[in-house]
Amino acid sequence: MGNIAFLPIGLEVALLVGAIGVLMVAVTMGRSSRDWAVVAGAAIGVGFVISVRQWVVVGESGTQLAFGTKGADGLAVANQMVAMDKFGALGGMILMVVVGLALIGSWQMVKDLGSRGAEFVALILLSAAGMHMMIVSANLIMLFIGLETASIALYVIAGFLRNRRGSDESAMKYFLMGSFASALFIYGVALVFAATGSTSLYGSTSIGQFLAGNAMPNPGILLIGIGLILVGLAFKMSAAPFHQWAPDVYQGAGTGAVAFMSTGVKVAAVAAMVRVLYIGFFQFYDDWSMAVALIAALSILVGTATAIAQSDLKRMLAYSGVAHAGFLLIAVLAARVSLDAMWFYLATYAVSLVGMLTVVTVVAGASAGPVSIESFRGLGKRSPMLAAAIAVFMFSMAGIPGTSGFVAKLVVFTAADLSGFRWLVVLALVASVAGLFFYLRIIVVAFFEDSDTEETPLTLTGPRIAIGFAVAVTVGLGLWPTLLLDFAREALPHL
Amino acid sequence: MTMSDLAVTAGWYMALAALLFSIGAIGLLTRRNALVMFMSIELMLNSVNLTFVAVGKELRTLEGQIATLFVMVVAAAEVTIGLAIIVAVFRRRATASVDELSEMKG
Repeated sequence: MGNIAFLPIGLEVALLVGAIGVLMVAVTMGRSSRDWAVVAGAAIGVGFVISVRQWVVVGESGTQLAFGTKGADGLAVANQMVAMDKFGALGGMILMVVVGLALIGSWQMVKDLGSRGAEFVALILLSAAGMHMMIVSANLIMLFIGLETASIALYVIAGFLRNRRGSDESAMKYFLMGSFASALFIYGVALVFAATGSTSLYGSTSIGQFLAGNAMPNPGILLIGIGLILVGLAFKMSAAPFHQWAPDVYQGAGTGAVAFMSTGVKVAAVAAMVRVLYIGFFQFYDDWSMAVALIAALSILVGTATAIAQSDLKRMLAYSGVAHAGFLLIAVLAARVSLDAMWFYLATYAVSLVGMLTVVTVVAGASAGPVSIESFRGLGKRSPMLAAAIAVFMFSMAGIPGTSGFVAKLVVFTAADLSGFRWLVVLALVASVAGLFFYLRIIVVAFFEDSDTEETPLTLTGPRIAIGFAVAVTVGLGLWPTLLLDFAREALPHL
Repeated sequence: MTMSDLAVTAGWYMALAALLFSIGAIGLLTRRNALVMFMSIELMLNSVNLTFVAVGKELRTLEGQIATLFVMVVAAAEVTIGLAIIVAVFRRRATASVDELSEMKG
């Protein structure tokens, strides 16, 4: 035991044990979903505690790398696979909160699935483990493994409701597009390896060390490699022009599953992108920052323009997610001057989106495929609390003052302006105003249009807690943003 | 022309890999049968393996070979899930053409 450091991979271990535990409980103790909830909740709780512990340990004794090649003295000296730093610790905390909320929101779907529900829960935990692996990986091959662990589980999650048409279509499209993105990503890694002779982000034989020590008069292969890595990650966070799969997948998959797959991947892909670009390829900042800025601009334009035309709420949220991927890419650029802006945007957007999709599961059913915006008519009368929650989440995504979304956009745009991307900030501001249209339309439909039914959606205790928590975070961080910003300021990656 | 001019260097392998990768990518984007698209993805992953092995040999480091093992494991996992999804679609619709999969529309 002595020479294996468990803390750096503690969160992954907790989630994997939890996933296996859920399956074992389902096999041995029967199909009571309450038992699975206890195991999964314990795994997520332990994961959160481990992330906090990592934060504390890093604060006391500094960042560290783990799982490297051993030198003569028995200590890891090179090719480390995992970095333990506050970057990964905060990413873990955010992921655990998001996974927990998403699982609570989709629990009705787990119950409806019967005995297969346990597999769904286990897959979500496995996928979350892969996502965190992406955030903490100190090697591009490791990042690929994490990416695939997260993605392959998500393909299955998207197609989980195989009895309903649309779910299989969703899974197929996600699988083909996702595998394509993964292939692009790993080819990019191979080209980077060809150019620099390394896949490590840290240590004496890392990519950064090679680039610092060798002037590259002809960096063509390296630049193609960086570009393909960027494209692969942009695919996963559904940034334009690599977003075509997202609306179909979101619409076809069960709403409960969408809450997790839309937020978790974004958190992981954005954090991984920051680590790879800044730690691995900082010497080529001028080249990749321009590419990131272009993808960001295109995402914002395409996402905003197409979201306006949608009549299906999940498609609308998917296209709004494309626009938010653009804002997040601005945050990646802004990370040069302030990393807290990126974390703030990631955390608040993820929580708002999970909250919103939990409301959708309550109103339209957790297993529903397409959800028309019309189905929210008259919600203000039928269930004022749910309608108010929708208003909070939509205000936050639109960036209305008083919500966390406003502060997130403010800090990101300020930092991006300081990094020299004023044109991008102007574009993003214009798009934010245009975005008001489709966010406010949901609120108008919910409050000012009458519905044919008087049916009040039944809000169970679980979703009620999840929605309440998301509303509290959204409003709370909108009014007291320093609570998270001060915290996130320290969440730097190992250098 | 001497023999050393004709020696097959890592560059040739990388060029071949790039060609295979392009064929895979084009196949994926133009073919409409899910199985063929899937084969294209496998071709892309194998060209990645070829790049890793050739570069690893050239640089005299084991990292390339080890990376190849990881890519193969991941490809195998993808095959398992991908074939299962394709079979599930085929059982429901009796077709593996992605053009038939167009229920989701905005």
